[in-house]
Amino acid sequence: MVKKRSDVYSVEIYGTKDLHKTEIEDEEEKHKDQKGNKKKKKAEDLKKELDLDDHRLSTSELEMKYGTSIDKGLSSARAAEILARDGPNALTPPKATPEIVKFLKQMIGGFSILLWIGAGFSWISFGIQLAQGVDSAFDNLYLGVVLALVVILTGIFAYYQEAKSTNIMASFSKMIPQQALVLRDAEKKELPADQLVVGDIVEIKGGDRIPADIRLIFTQGCKVDNSSLTGESEPQSRSCDFSHENPLETRNIAFYSTTCVEGTATGIVINTGDRTIIGRIASLASGVGNEKTPIAIEIEHFVYLVAGVAISIGVLFFIISVSMRYKILDSIIFLIGIIVANVPEGLLATVTVSLSLTAKRMAKKNCLVKNLEAVETLGSTSIICSDKTGTLTQNRMTVAHLWFDNQIYSADTSEDQTTQPFDQSSPSWTALSKIVTLCNRAEFRPGQENLPIMKRVVVGDASETALLKFSEVILGDVMSIRAQNRKVAEIPFNSTNKFQLSIHETDDPHDKRFLLVMKGAPERILERCSTIMINGKEEPLDSEKAEAFQTAYMELGGMGERVLGFCHLYLPEKEFPESFQFDTDSMNFPTSSLCFVGLLSMIDPPRSTVPDAVSKCRSAGIKVIMVTGDHPITAKAIAKSVGIISATSETVEDIAKRLNIPVERVNRREATAAVVNGMELKDMSSEQLDAILREHAEIVFARTSPQQKLIIVEGCQRQGAVVAVTGDGVNDSPALKKADIGIAMGIAGSDAAKNAADMVLLDDNFASIVTGVEEGRLIFDNLKKTIAYTLTKNIAELCPFLIYIIASIPMPIGTITILFIDLGTDIIPSVALAYEKAESDIMNRRPRNKRRDRLVNQQLAVYSYLQIGIMQSVGAFVTYFTVYAEQGFLPSTLLGVRVNWESNAINDFEDSYGQQWTHYQRMYLQWTGYTAFFVSITIQQVADLIIRKTRRNSIFRQGLFRNKVIWVGIFSQIGIALILTYGLGHVTALNFTPLRFQYWFVAVPFAILIWVYDEIRKLLIRRHPGSWWDKNMYY
Amino acid sequence: MATLNEKKTCSERMADFRRFVWNPETKLFMGRTLINWVWISLYYLAFYVVMSGLFALSIYCLMRTINPYEPDYQDQLKSPGVTLRPDVYGDRGLKIYYNVSDNKTWEGLVTTLHNFLAAYTPAAQHLNINCTNNTYFIQDTFDGPNKTKLSCKFTADMLQNCSGITDPTFGYPEGKPCFILKMNRIIKFFPGNGTAPRVNCSYVGEEESRPLDVDYYPVNGTFNLHYFPYYGKKAQPSYSNPLVAVKFLNITRNVEFKIVCKIIGAGITYNVHDPYEGKVEFKLKIED
Repeated sequence: MVKKRSDVYSVEIYGTKDLHKTEIEDEEEKHKDQKGNKKKKKAEDLKKELDLDDHRLSTSELEMKYGTSIDKGLSSARAAEILARDGPNALTPPKATPEIVKFLKQMIGGFSILLWIGAGFSWISFGIQLAQGVDSAFDNLYLGVVLALVVILTGIFAYYQEAKSTNIMASFSKMIPQQALVLRDAEKKELPADQLVVGDIVEIKGGDRIPADIRLIFTQGCKVDNSSLTGESEPQSRSCDFSHENPLETRNIAFYSTTCVEGTATGIVINTGDRTIIGRIASLASGVGNEKTPIAIEIEHFVYLVAGVAISIGVLFFIISVSMRYKILDSIIFLIGIIVANVPEGLLATVTVSLSLTAKRMAKKNCLVKNLEAVETLGSTSIICSDKTGTLTQNRMTVAHLWFDNQIYSADTSEDQTTQPFDQSSPSWTALSKIVTLCNRAEFRPGQENLPIMKRVVVGDASETALLKFSEVILGDVMSIRAQNRKVAEIPFNSTNKFQLSIHETDDPHDKRFLLVMKGAPERILERCSTIMINGKEEPLDSEKAEAFQTAYMELGGMGERVLGFCHLYLPEKEFPESFQFDTDSMNFPTSSLCFVGLLSMIDPPRSTVPDAVSKCRSAGIKVIMVTGDHPITAKAIAKSVGIISATSETVEDIAKRLNIPVERVNRREATAAVVNGMELKDMSSEQLDAILREHAEIVFARTSPQQKLIIVEGCQRQGAVVAVTGDGVNDSPALKKADIGIAMGIAGSDAAKNAADMVLLDDNFASIVTGVEEGRLIFDNLKKTIAYTLTKNIAELCPFLIYIIASIPMPIGTITILFIDLGTDIIPSVALAYEKAESDIMNRRPRNKRRDRLVNQQLAVYSYLQIGIMQSVGAFVTYFTVYAEQGFLPSTLLGVRVNWESNAINDFEDSYGQQWTHYQRMYLQWTGYTAFFVSITIQQVADLIIRKTRRNSIFRQGLFRNKVIWVGIFSQIGIALILTYGLGHVTALNFTPLRFQYWFVAVPFAILIWVYDEIRKLLIRRHPGSWWDKNMYY
Repeated sequence: MATLNEKKTCSERMADFRRFVWNPETKLFMGRTLINWVWISLYYLAFYVVMSGLFALSIYCLMRTINPYEPDYQDQLKSPGVTLRPDVYGDRGLKIYYNVSDNKTWEGLVTTLHNFLAAYTPAAQHLNINCTNNTYFIQDTFDGPNKTKLSCKFTADMLQNCSGITDPTFGYPEGKPCFILKMNRIIKFFPGNGTAPRVNCSYVGEEESRPLDVDYYPVNGTFNLHYFPYYGKKAQPSYSNPLVAVKFLNITRNVEFKIVCKIIGAGITYNVHDPYEGKVEFKLKIED
């Protein structure tokens, strides 16, 4: 038995095995054993725990085992006891990183470590200076404290942002608390599903989600949709019979998180929460670790780059200053300054804010992003593996074609149809419409009269629903038509007959005949017919007409549609008088020699926005792969109708058919499209799969299980692609985890899928993914701009230190002042760049190559650091020299004065005019210099902000005023600078002083120069694409 | 979400780096061909030459606007600083400790004074004129040679007992030390508003109420008005600051005193942040 069982679970367990394999590939060798063992143990656990025997027990045995009573249920006291023992009936969310760890990670991640080093050095030098009794020792203490504060505050900020986005997700999953109807203390009660315990008697009805694993003890036409568990999309019937040794296969167990499609059932809860089958699978899936996102890698790369620059310049100048006979302590203080100047303290916070702004924007467009960094990942996506049902399609059967009077008619399948345009004048249509209306058990739930027909909730299966809505759209009130044609007998559809039949009184009071209507599988229906209706007249069904039927049937079937045949018969009044008692068991009425009326074919039609979205993906260089459990023909038909397989491309089979040669002889390379069956996929080696993924541009995987999705994802990742995968079932979670970005369906998705995913699609619509991709690409571009903007001024902050060390001039800018730029004036403008519109159609270029197209590339760094940064430095230095010169110190006198300038003991320091300055007067002038330097960096950062709006286009083309937030940024920048200089100018600790107004304008010519230079750069890039200039100057 | 792991071993990294430095296949040196390096270097050379030129131009323009005689602004020089000689700095400001019986402890102080007064010998002052008016010496025209203005003579002998002429030891061995106070130069600064500013020294801190027995030279410890205003280095190249010497006559031995010497006069202000503006504070301890 065990052997047999493992067979059945093979899909499950292989799924997890595949996970190990890939994980192990990623891991270092040494972890292999340990990890493998752990996983193996888990898998064994799963096997062991699956030794359920409840399905074999009789009702009374069950009652005994769980100490319950079928009539009375558990007592509340007993239930509370069990609840206390087993815990609530809910899946434990995947083990989250402890908050404190998350917090500490923020504290030491990124640049924080550099700043901690800076703070450490500050405190060390404070200690040394304090011991030496130096006056200014406390400055270093404060600096250290400020640096530590900066780290802690930015850490708290990042942590808060992270927590906020997690909360959005948490609130989302709590939106719908599930209720269950439970029998307790011999009373039926509505309880929250998480209060269920083992032994509870629960009742379920069509439309409910199964609240726990339950052993059914009473059923009535109960069908469950196990797709979230097994991937089979066909509902399966459930009864009380023990039909299979395997608990997964047997009919008398219904599983947690699957849905009851129709019927009612009562059952005993046998497993709750994590002990349910789903719970165990979900816990396995959560073993796949979260790893770095592309943007995280980019940011890490950028942090390394900046830290590398900071440390190498720091160390270089430490050596220089030591060899220039500066004191070691002074050299350390220089080192701190260099580190602070080099590190863009505010940038990581800015990036977080930009990402969360985009996440918000995406949420508005129905993409809910769980992990902020996933925002950008979506933008670098190069392959989307999409589900078909519900994502590409509307997830409801809709009548697509009709065939009557020897002619095929097309029906409108759009989401918001209100009328049907096809020709409805033929009397055949009248007859057909009557059958469609009457031979149908589906009903609208009451109280929805005001809703559009397409949005109403229907009780009944998918095709009956489709037919009901179809007739409601055309004929109006179906319910009243049915009431006028009272039903006297009915045989519901079953799989042996493959037809459904009902007998009605007619609505014509003079016509006392009964009308027998029947629908079912077309070939079966045709067998029972002897005549066919053409233009309202019954004609004998000869071979020619049968041929016509066959052709139509084949054609509709070939479009992947589900075809139904319809026939009727007016029962002769003599044989079946009004009082006739119809007996459906003995079938005391004719079921052959009927009149064939027509065919209707149904399909789950594509969403109307999807074809457009797919073609957008195509122009954006994103490959869309359809992965579905459906039949290949249906899958291909939908793929063709949405453009995943384009009109002109052919599969190997198509070519074989066209050339009339066997499939084996077709040159596979000629076929751009491929439809791969899940069965074939099972037997494929990974090389073969790679070959398929490489050789075919348009791929559809049909009849695949959710587990195979994982294999497909891995295949795509082997091609170096960034893969986005959609999924809804629990079994999709490994694939969702494995994918670079897992997208769960918000409506159809299970909680496990949502937990595993990085993003939740609120409307389940493929088109939303594409808007997400667009936003993701935009934010990547905009982050580039933000970083370029932020990096530029680092040079203007760094140069003062270097020149101070080398030329011994009075310090041009203080460390605290630098922090005010990095964390004050620059923050809002750099966030404002996140609002910048795209320069050109971002959906017209290929996805970013994650190895080549870096966020911070060499050109960006070099252009920002060595060109614009240098210009800014020159501008700021001119301001600095102007301030000093106009106060009495001409540039020539400033060179080499550092030691005397900073000496406390010299209080009659002579300037260029012979005036004498005390130490404090000099320091005050120095702070004025800081302020002037600060102001001119700010002014030039305004120009920098403007030029960063575009990377290629002229600013004038992009529009100076289109992005209003940029102006908020500019005004905030200047506002903060004004407040600092004039408002806080008297707080000596901050080292700001009020500044003469004209000094605000000294750097303006340089700001203009920056703008002009950048416009020239962009002009040359546009004029000479691919040139030396383009390669070196485009970032 | 998974994994863009690119874990490399150290040797792979080294190999990658070597390949980056010189890639023999593509003939790339540090990611560029040699000719590309030449171009980019030339571009940057030109760029920096232009930037230096712009900087030089800006400084040149700045210098063109600068008045050679006086600065445009004196925002920080509202009130003159005051300095003291001899100036020995401890951890927190001036601190003059010496032992009357130990030559070595005060010889340095005396030398400082002599050196300082070397600029006030008649020889050093020979370019300056004798002034007798006790009013501001206002010069609207350049009356001096080579388009300069005249400066008044201040010679060490005006400091009488503290001139170092009569007593080369400035009273240090007797425990009655001389200190020389100097007011910082500020262009076109008119101290005292018509009355000569004078020096006043007193104890600070616990000893505040205690009278300080002190002689001021020149008499009353005033800075004569004819030394003001100062017209700047270019206009008055030979200008020397007027001085006031103070001689402490009765300092209790072996006790540290905190003394402040303020300059009193209209326009001379004191600043809480600046210990040397308008006054000078120092600690004094004479041991025996």
